[in-house]
Amino acid sequence: MEISIIQAFILGLLAFIAGLDLFNGLTHMHRPVVLGPLVGLVLGDLQTGILVGGTLELVWMGLAPLAGAQPPNVIIGTIVGATFAITTGVSAEVAVGIAVPFAVAVQMGITLLFSAMSPMMSKCDDFADDANTRGIELVNYFGLLVLGVFYFFCAFLPIYFGAEHAGAFVEALPKNLIDGLGVAGGIMPAVGFAILMKIMMKNIYIPYFILGFVAAAWLQLPILAIACAALAMALIDFMKKDETAATVKNEELDDGI
Amino acid sequence: MGSNTEKNALIDANEYEDQSIGAELTTADINKMAWRSLLLQASFNYERMQAGGWLYGILPALKKIHTNKNDLAKSMKGHMGFLNTHPFLVTFVMGIILAMERSKQDVSSIQNTKIAVASPLGGIGDAMFWLTLLPICGGIGADLALRGSIMGAILFFIMFNVVHFTLRFGLAHYAYRMGVKAIPLIKANTKKVAHAAAIVGITVIGALVATYVRLSTTLEINAGDAVVKLQTDVLDKLMPAFLPLVYTLIMYALVKRGWSPVKLIMFTMVLGVAGKYAGFL
Repeated sequence: MEISIIQAFILGLLAFIAGLDLFNGLTHMHRPVVLGPLVGLVLGDLQTGILVGGTLELVWMGLAPLAGAQPPNVIIGTIVGATFAITTGVSAEVAVGIAVPFAVAVQMGITLLFSAMSPMMSKCDDFADDANTRGIELVNYFGLLVLGVFYFFCAFLPIYFGAEHAGAFVEALPKNLIDGLGVAGGIMPAVGFAILMKIMMKNIYIPYFILGFVAAAWLQLPILAIACAALAMALIDFMKKDETAATVKNEELDDGI
Repeated sequence: MGSNTEKNALIDANEYEDQSIGAELTTADINKMAWRSLLLQASFNYERMQAGGWLYGILPALKKIHTNKNDLAKSMKGHMGFLNTHPFLVTFVMGIILAMERSKQDVSSIQNTKIAVASPLGGIGDAMFWLTLLPICGGIGADLALRGSIMGAILFFIMFNVVHFTLRFGLAHYAYRMGVKAIPLIKANTKKVAHAAAIVGITVIGALVATYVRLSTTLEINAGDAVVKLQTDVLDKLMPAFLPLVYTLIMYALVKRGWSPVKLIMFTMVLGVAGKYAGFL
């Protein structure tokens, strides 16, 4: 079965929309059980689309993005995989195997985007300084647009040109560079925390920082448990100093005048 | 009075100029916030994660609360700090924070509360959505689909989103109402609340450093016949999350010396790529 450029284009757009839904919107129309029938509809074979979608849903069921770890990309896997399954008649599982390089490619694109958006945050700081709300909004829309375009091409290229031709693109990508950016991405929150600490850290709070670190690093407690323990510490302080409340109130009145 | 002006100059960046309670947010305002919260991760990045999308979500409400432009700028600046919370439960945090903004708590107090409330939601949300709701809806949907029925897709989509949007909007309104009720209490105890928020906020930041910063080395030391893996044999035994802590403290020291975030990000990217090519990361 031949795929027309219009069909490939529509499937690319479907990847654009589903790609945004994975991180934003979260209606989960990007799950195989929904995407499969949509791909089938575009290719004129709804029934196969439904069946492939059902099979792939079970494949990806256990692969949720837990604690920030990204599983193989479900959208490209489903759209490209379902397309090959419908047009060539191979089983859904085999078709997904063909789609994997492109699922990896889109993951690389996401790594690049998350790296490139990091310096943009300083631009947002400047917008914030000027109370420029439009600037903040535009940066967010820009991020969405770039992400969607990545998805479009990662679906359109293999579908239109065939997996073996488009595969050459994927292999041409500099793997060490992207992996290096991925490593840098893992370290990068340190910069975010450093900036937070510049605002919030005072010497009297250093003990609490140490306690939080020890609880997470050595005791491996969940953040919720640590936050609850910290709340208990805060409440002890809160209740102990109750007798000074009256003086605090007076001070505030002075400030007001 | 002299000491008072001095004090005001010191805390200027932290306290709002206009201390009167901000404009009331209507149901429509909270609904708008909940809709915009769908774009929480639009500008997701490694450095601040959801900060930009978070600010996007509460921006219209902030504009309504802070009619003073300097105050709006201060507030926006604070909200550009690192944030990572669960995208389904974020409106719960937004509702509370907007109530605090209305009561004009100081910036660091609001940010400490944000970190303290938002960060633990990750684990709760994962358990609720990825491990419970999605497998249930997906299982039912896939079962129907495998029997060839389009109802699988439709039922999945409806079931999932009824729960999703009920929680998103319900939590937004619930948290905001709860926060507003607490305004008089917070307003009367501003300093104590700020201190309590700082304790919880800083403790959680300490925990986040150990959890979110991922840095380990692949270096090996050849000591005669024995190969010593620097990470697993030395560092992990000395102190878990040792490298993340050291790196964060270095970044903190550099920020305090006036290094810009962009410089630190570039430094980190170069380190990551160079480390990969040289084979020590």
